[in-house]
Amino acid sequence: MNYVKRLLCLLPGLLWLQQSIAQEIRVNGVVTSRADAQRIPGAIIQVKGTSRGTQSDPDGKYSISAQANDTLQFSSLGFETTFAVVGNNRVINISLENSNRKLEEVVVTALGISREKKSLGYAVQELKSKDISEAKETNLVNALSGKIAGVQVTNSQGNLGSSRIVIRGETSIAGNNQPLFVLDGVPVDNSQLGVGTGRDFANAISDINPDDIASISVLKGPNAAALYGSRASSGVIVIKTKTGKDTKGGMGVTVNSGATFEKLLILPDFQNSYGQGTGGQFSYKDGKGGGLNDGVDESWGPKLDGRLIPQFFSNGEAVPFVAHPDNVKDFYVTGYTLNNGLSVGGSNEKLDYRFSYNNTKQTGILPNTGITRNTFTASNTFRITPKLTLSTYANYVRSAADNLPGVDGRRGNSVTLQFIWFGRQVDVSKLKNYKNADGTDYNWNHSYYSNPYWIQNENTVGMLRNRFLGNARLSYQIQDWLTANFRIGTDYYQDRRKYKVAYYTNGTPFGSYTEDAYAVSETNGEFTLNAKKKLGSDFDIDVLAGANLRSNQFEQNYQQAPRLAVKDVYTLNNSRDPLISTSLLTRQKVYSGFAAAQVGYRNYAFVNLTARNDWSSTLPRGNNSYFYPSVNASLVLSEALHIQSQALSLLKLRGGWAQVGKDTDPYQEINTYPFNQPFGSLPLLTVSDKYLNKDLKPEITTSTEVGVEAGFFDNRARLDVTYYNSRSRNQILLADVSSTTGYLKKLLNTGALSNQGVEVTLGLTPITTRSGFRWDVNVNYARNVSKVIELDADGFLNNYVLGSSGNMQVLASKGQRYGALYGTAYKRDSENRILVNADGTPSVDPSKKVLGYFTPKWTGSINNSFSFKGFNLSFLIDTKQGGSLWSGTNSTGMGTGVLEATMQGRDQEHGGLPYYTSGGKNIPLPDHNATAPGGAVVKHDGIIFDGYTADGKKNESILSAQTYYKAVYSSSLNESAVYDASFVKLREVKIGYTIPASLVKKWGLQAVNVALVGRNLGYLHKNTPNVDPETAFNTGNGQGLETLQIPTTRSFGFNLNVSF
Amino acid sequence: MKKIFIPFYLIVATIWFSGCQKDLERTNINPNEPTTVQPDYLLSNGIKANVDTYWGSDATMETTLLYIQYWAKIQYPEPDTYKPATTNIQNVWNNFYAQGIADFTKLAELGDTLHNPNYKAVGIIMRSWIFQVLTDLYGDIPYTQAGKIDQYLTPVYDSQRVVYRGLLAELKGAVSIISPADNPIQGDSLLANNMNGWKKFANGLRSRIALRIADRDPEAAKAVFAELAAEGNFLFTASDREAKLNYLTSPNQNPVGKNRETRNDYRISKTVVDRLKALNDPRLSIYAALPADTNAYVGVTNGLTADSASRLGFTKTSDVGAVFTATQAPAFVFTYAEQLFILAEAAQRNLISGNAADLYRQAIRASFKQYGITGAQVDTYLAQASVAYDANNYKKSIGEQKWLALFSEGLEAFAEWRRLDYPQLTPAYTGVLGGKMPLRLTYPSSEQALNGNNYKAAVARQGADVLTTRVWFDMY
Repeated sequence: MNYVKRLLCLLPGLLWLQQSIAQEIRVNGVVTSRADAQRIPGAIIQVKGTSRGTQSDPDGKYSISAQANDTLQFSSLGFETTFAVVGNNRVINISLENSNRKLEEVVVTALGISREKKSLGYAVQELKSKDISEAKETNLVNALSGKIAGVQVTNSQGNLGSSRIVIRGETSIAGNNQPLFVLDGVPVDNSQLGVGTGRDFANAISDINPDDIASISVLKGPNAAALYGSRASSGVIVIKTKTGKDTKGGMGVTVNSGATFEKLLILPDFQNSYGQGTGGQFSYKDGKGGGLNDGVDESWGPKLDGRLIPQFFSNGEAVPFVAHPDNVKDFYVTGYTLNNGLSVGGSNEKLDYRFSYNNTKQTGILPNTGITRNTFTASNTFRITPKLTLSTYANYVRSAADNLPGVDGRRGNSVTLQFIWFGRQVDVSKLKNYKNADGTDYNWNHSYYSNPYWIQNENTVGMLRNRFLGNARLSYQIQDWLTANFRIGTDYYQDRRKYKVAYYTNGTPFGSYTEDAYAVSETNGEFTLNAKKKLGSDFDIDVLAGANLRSNQFEQNYQQAPRLAVKDVYTLNNSRDPLISTSLLTRQKVYSGFAAAQVGYRNYAFVNLTARNDWSSTLPRGNNSYFYPSVNASLVLSEALHIQSQALSLLKLRGGWAQVGKDTDPYQEINTYPFNQPFGSLPLLTVSDKYLNKDLKPEITTSTEVGVEAGFFDNRARLDVTYYNSRSRNQILLADVSSTTGYLKKLLNTGALSNQGVEVTLGLTPITTRSGFRWDVNVNYARNVSKVIELDADGFLNNYVLGSSGNMQVLASKGQRYGALYGTAYKRDSENRILVNADGTPSVDPSKKVLGYFTPKWTGSINNSFSFKGFNLSFLIDTKQGGSLWSGTNSTGMGTGVLEATMQGRDQEHGGLPYYTSGGKNIPLPDHNATAPGGAVVKHDGIIFDGYTADGKKNESILSAQTYYKAVYSSSLNESAVYDASFVKLREVKIGYTIPASLVKKWGLQAVNVALVGRNLGYLHKNTPNVDPETAFNTGNGQGLETLQIPTTRSFGFNLNVSF
Repeated sequence: MKKIFIPFYLIVATIWFSGCQKDLERTNINPNEPTTVQPDYLLSNGIKANVDTYWGSDATMETTLLYIQYWAKIQYPEPDTYKPATTNIQNVWNNFYAQGIADFTKLAELGDTLHNPNYKAVGIIMRSWIFQVLTDLYGDIPYTQAGKIDQYLTPVYDSQRVVYRGLLAELKGAVSIISPADNPIQGDSLLANNMNGWKKFANGLRSRIALRIADRDPEAAKAVFAELAAEGNFLFTASDREAKLNYLTSPNQNPVGKNRETRNDYRISKTVVDRLKALNDPRLSIYAALPADTNAYVGVTNGLTADSASRLGFTKTSDVGAVFTATQAPAFVFTYAEQLFILAEAAQRNLISGNAADLYRQAIRASFKQYGITGAQVDTYLAQASVAYDANNYKKSIGEQKWLALFSEGLEAFAEWRRLDYPQLTPAYTGVLGGKMPLRLTYPSSEQALNGNNYKAAVARQGADVLTTRVWFDMY
């Protein structure tokens, strides 16, 4: 019996032996793409039913031995697998159809391992190089927006700033919720350094040149990313760069050139009827209170009807007081991005090589702002022996900026502050010569502001970042089935910033100069052993085991000359006062051991197991080792049950469970004593306001995910549905505590947060014709429900503050959705009617209330793309529904009377009520023509707040428009400026044309591709007036707050890609 | 062979692993800040940080200096209409607790561990001063459970009576352990490392608190003065350095001086200017500055609307005098003049023996001397009927003169005005308290969120958390 079994096992071998004896012929040919006639390198050509196979060369050519009765199988990533019977053909040229079949897809998974998508027990979505490089977003994160289900991207400021990305909602109450970025297997830094310095520095991943990217694979959460360990709980973005192999058709030279223009997408809607002043009065003398209300920076002044009033430019002469409706708009300029790149690549038996250079020059929408980036990349693979391969990747990025736009509404460096506190009559063009002869600034106001052009030209911040990203991988094939890999990778950058504040700047009469320098590095060394074996004919086993050593270092040196001794000289030596300086060094190490195994059964059922143990330096001995496993499985039912048909082309079920441990930042165990600036000769040390925790345990996120994938009608309809549920516990939070404890914050280790959600992606190909016309629709939908379960173990704490602006706070509030907007609200009676004070202004409730949540209820997008013979057109519509935003721009702008919305009730035309003032009281008049007793002045800007008095009567007190808007939109009443942040945006429109290969060949070129791209083109719907609901201060967790943002932009770009 | 290798690998692995553990632990030693602290550095910091709060924008310029009508606002007048900004209230609370209570509790501990009772005494005295300022301002406050984060994450609020009584006991204890002859201290910018000075400051605080509670708890007040007498009435004298911080040049400039470097929001109040004028008080030219455009001192009415305030004009109204707005102006924590006013009132109340009228006149002389005014003009001033001491209405005499003497000490003046009810002040012109004046600060909103139950209990005991609620000592 045993003998028979063994014999059976040998049978396939015997059959192969038998076949190989038969007559062999040589078949040659070229593999091309049917859509664009491009040659396809690296296509796999196999003799069906055997293990014999080859790959097409960089020219798409192949050569293989076969027999007449063999069938050749042609497959390549992104194309339909096609078969051809050899017969008597010696030349078989084949053109492959673009693939609809997700089943055939190979995707990059954790640790850069390529896997057939069908074998995975979790959702993964991938973007190809075309999706990324054509979008021409200078910040890589933005290119992902609207394209992947469950991914949320928030832009911060203007067109040069940072962007935040979160996948499947926040899993950490206090920690970083952005995914880990991994480039060719090596983690890269995406910090946003210098938050709170009054500049919105771009997050570090924006250094990556989109043209170098071959694919981006989004691993959403622990189930997909468990192998990455500590940093995987927020998901991982796996970036694969282009190599010489991707160069189509032999040694290739590709030139890429693009230009993008950026203009304001939105600007507040300003009124143009009333100018600077208060109580309707204004006359300029010195701009700081010497004249009549000339220190006032609001627009509650006289009517802009051409009356004669001395103004800032008129040297005391009364000149016409008129509107300049575009005064703010005219200050902004058109930003542009010029992008020029060159790459050379190729591949032969011994070597794949690719070199690229890219220059991106981007200017901002604020005058005198911009950044220039030069990127050099070299990527090589040396096949030293058939078994030993060395791959190297080196990327040098130099980002240099002379000035970046100021944010946060700081007087010294931000212009948005003075435009929302503004005199609407101010003619900005008269401010262009911003300096007086004596070096002081020339401006419309000297109480609070410097001239906006002064701010842009004198108070600059420069940045210079030198970054090196590199890795080397040595791969040795020990046996056919066993490979050893050693990889070392590093990401190192130095970032130097120079902040200048000029002499005579308002609020900083002596100016200041600051140098802030960072050095950031991460190094990873990794060793893995990978075994792949077929067990019998039914089982495939793929096992991987490895170890990783990660070390991070962060260094900051900050020095400031707080007051300059001599003007216009920017050096630290030039100081009246002792320098303010700090230095900071943090180091972190993590040792890891990990293993993963995949067992496949008959190529339709798969089980994946992973396990990892981390030892982190940031946790105390005893708690610093933590183990976490994951398991997932997939079953392709359509194959297993043989129910595959034209109507049901695919049915796959998948599910998994995963756990991920997470460490914390360095130095969170032992309390230390911070230094303060010395008092004369006395050094100062203080008790820290943070109470640390010497018993820290790792955070643990446990996640379950199930999903179904289905394809119908020959895969012309594709559906992927995922449900996930994750719970994070032992969360490490530096929680606010009552300062009466002697501390402001205590490091807790007990937070718990849950997330559950659904993601749906639906792909449709309503039309595809023989002639090559094709229409694809892709729909993404994601809904995430978060809940803060617990903050501290004893239940004392109900709120954790994620961010704040004035009274307005963003909280993780126990029992609630993550990201509650918590602020001061109207005081209401038992019938929920707003109460008013004795003077008729709305009453503020002494207790703060939850006014909304920044986290949206659901997000979605729909992309339509049409292609026909080299032409393609696509448009992407993107939406977020159900979150809220507190808008400081609206709150301030209503109070200062600059917004158009303050026109309501401001005069007779706009529904204002007539009244006069007597003894400090406003007394209503029956109509606008009535006269007031005693000859009192009749006013026409009366408004009655729609509320009730404490004794339940309808409010009848009349307020002047100025008092009304100042009371309703006061900084001590947040509720009035909380808006529904839902929006529907036309995110992207793309028109591309690939000139037919036949034509291009005549010109001696390989391929020519042109594309026109428009990004952030407009809102189809939004509920937040005057600002983009999709903005934030920075990339931290305190989202949902907006104040004095630089407006977001829309961009129009042109891109040309030529391959030789 | 294999048999040998397996244990060998195990040993190597164990060594490697324990090496890794050590390496991980070494990596997590913070190289940026020390894990221990020396007492003088902590003392220097505590004095600087807390006097900054005591003399700074949040506790004085935006609040008490306006309420007590020393200063008025000419720009952004909202706070001057009794609408304090929530950030001001929050900062006073946070700074005093998280910098003051925390630093000085640690200093007192260090006194024990380093066997230097003088540091311990200084820690307790400074902490007591901060608690006194806090309870004066807010009423009931966390005291017995405050500053003990290991035990209490949400400290309970103690009644003001418990706080003052506790402080009296703590200060008495601190005085008893001071040994001026040995255990020198360093880093003391308040009393120049003089332990006798610290003893006198602590005794001064005891006498201050005793009077604060004298209306409510006369027996306790009496006991304090009896104790002080038993200990030899060791109090500040004319030749002593007062408890004051001499500010330095930038970046260690006086908070008022720092404010004036960039802002021009404040003027001297019309109330105090008018009073000084009415009394022909020579301190007028010191307390007030001449406006740029006129040669007369012009104060600004408290609580004007934004437009009427700005219409008065920056150049036609008086700022506070240069003595207070100078970069290196001192901040007074406890003056000899105040000590004399306390003794005068204690004598009047029969808490000590002595001539109240005489002590009252000495107090005024000390105040004049504080600003360099001596000689005949002081005698002339004292000779006026309007200045003469009225034993029948001592609260008026002492209240009005103490108010003038404490000029710019917003916190102490605000407490004493509430206790003595003199001078009689008219509420701010557009005050929002329905014709009333503030009698305390509201608790910061963070307490609602972070210490809610104890906050609620305190409010239930003390009365609504509004500016007009009386604190316990404020009996009349």
